[in-house]
Amino acid sequence: MHMANELISFPVAGVSIGIAGGVLGWICKSIRQDIVSEKAAVMGVLGAFVFAAQMVNFQLPLMPGTSGHLIGAVFLAVILGPHLAAVVLSSVVIIQCLLFQDGGLLAIGCNLLNIAIIPSYIGYYVYRLAAGNMQNKSRYLAGAIVACVIAALAGSAMVVLQTTISGVLLIPPVLFLATMAGVHLLVGIMEGMITVAILGYLASVRPDLIAGLTASRAVLSRNGALISLAVMTLITAAGFSLLASDKPDGLEWSYLERPEQPDFKPVVANSDQRMDAADKLHSKIAVMPDYSLGNTSELHSASAGWTSVAGIVGSAVCMGLIWLTAKLIRPRRA
Amino acid sequence: MHHAYLDKYANQNSFFHRLDSRVKFLAALIYTILILSIPPRSAAVVFCYVVAPFGMLVWAGIPIGFVARRILAVSPFVLVLALSCPFFDQTPYLLRLGDITFQLSGGWMRCFTILAKFAATMLTLFALTCTTRFTDMLAGLQQMQCPSILIVQLSFVYRYLFVLVDRVHHILRARAARKLRYLGLRQEIRIAAIMIAALFIQSLESAERIYRAMQGRGFTGSFHALKPIRINRRDIYFIFVFIGICIFLHSIMRIWLNELNGV
Repeated sequence: MHMANELISFPVAGVSIGIAGGVLGWICKSIRQDIVSEKAAVMGVLGAFVFAAQMVNFQLPLMPGTSGHLIGAVFLAVILGPHLAAVVLSSVVIIQCLLFQDGGLLAIGCNLLNIAIIPSYIGYYVYRLAAGNMQNKSRYLAGAIVACVIAALAGSAMVVLQTTISGVLLIPPVLFLATMAGVHLLVGIMEGMITVAILGYLASVRPDLIAGLTASRAVLSRNGALISLAVMTLITAAGFSLLASDKPDGLEWSYLERPEQPDFKPVVANSDQRMDAADKLHSKIAVMPDYSLGNTSELHSASAGWTSVAGIVGSAVCMGLIWLTAKLIRPRRA
Repeated sequence: MHHAYLDKYANQNSFFHRLDSRVKFLAALIYTILILSIPPRSAAVVFCYVVAPFGMLVWAGIPIGFVARRILAVSPFVLVLALSCPFFDQTPYLLRLGDITFQLSGGWMRCFTILAKFAATMLTLFALTCTTRFTDMLAGLQQMQCPSILIVQLSFVYRYLFVLVDRVHHILRARAARKLRYLGLRQEIRIAAIMIAALFIQSLESAERIYRAMQGRGFTGSFHALKPIRINRRDIYFIFVFIGICIFLHSIMRIWLNELNGV
């Protein structure tokens, strides 16, 4: 589920790029010490492995013609640990944007968070919590399924959160959340089953991979995992409680004009002349001035309709001309 | 899969291919921001913004059919969400052309705008990626202070992507030759898991070999570009034309929207 540019607003895009860039920069800085160039080769090849593994599809029951495939976030997080998995998956997301054109250039912050960073950390911590000390095989396999489901749900919840804050789409957040969560529950269960199957096979063929890696990764204390999980839950819950209420939030409520209470004076009102001047200046130079296109009574004037048509036709003619010139200029190839 | 399947047009040679990758990257970023700043419900304005990336693609010799197919391939998610708009915004919207009037809902206008913006920003992204070699792009990003671990990681992924995808094609063909019917979900998942696990072990082993080979050649942890990238006269022309186009389109948009709002 790659986000497109058009589904998010500038503040969301900017903030998410900032957060994703900051987190990635922090990870890169903190793993620089323990990565010798040996790990660089492993990480690079595993990034390519994610692409290849996503091409291995399997038929789904009940829905002929559809197929599922591994996403790989939790699998990598379990094998490599969350930091390395986050870097590998981030490189995958960036290449999907720049090479496969999947996901927009400005939405890349959202995509990095939703697909790479959040699933690998949440997946890893949930897995550590559920798997315990890796003694009980059925327990750590069950842990992998739970981790996949929760990671998929967290990613989809982030999509809902970002689009709703942006306000580009008009779907009620609860409905959107329910749909996305339903779809991603299935995705997560499928992902969990195949992850478990892979881990089980690796444990029987190359037990050194799983044992060796988990032994070195077992540094994370249970308390650390619990605390980070609690923080993430709190953040998510806070986000959703904000979303779920249709009422304006506290700040808006305080300066909102209230038509049903004529004698109510907005708490935050500023009638300073300088403020008006600043507003005017801002609306003159702003990239996106506040156009009030939302009024029901507003209709297009006749000339405006024609301007739109002229714009579209003019653009089409331009493109036709460009195409023709290119045809004429280009040297003929055999 | 051939090596040059994904970015087969990035290795051509044209005016746009020879531009500095940093200039193109920033130009694409700014242009995307401009397109996204168009307010919702003004689909017609977006059409003007399509012209420039279209021209860049056509003059660079990239077939538009290829681009259109790729855009269609990545569109389903956006398409579904855009088509949901008409259900939630029923405000009437009257479009009048002389005597003919169309009754639309605001939701449809919003839907058209989202789709038009999607097409426009996608064309911009294609205009960037189809005219820039990935290695040049990485060199440019490194110049722009991207963390070097990320750059090394991206170039590794790019190099081995084709090797592993090739390997997966072999595995998939072998499965297709042996598995002739649907075997039930449990068995299907088991087979896919074994394929992926085998691929994983192979990848780890080849990574070890690669590391040894790179050490033998004196790899120090960062890649070096053969030719230094620098801005030359061609880039200056491009920057001036680009700024001109941006100012032109932006002023058109403002005049137009003022007219729409009856100002």
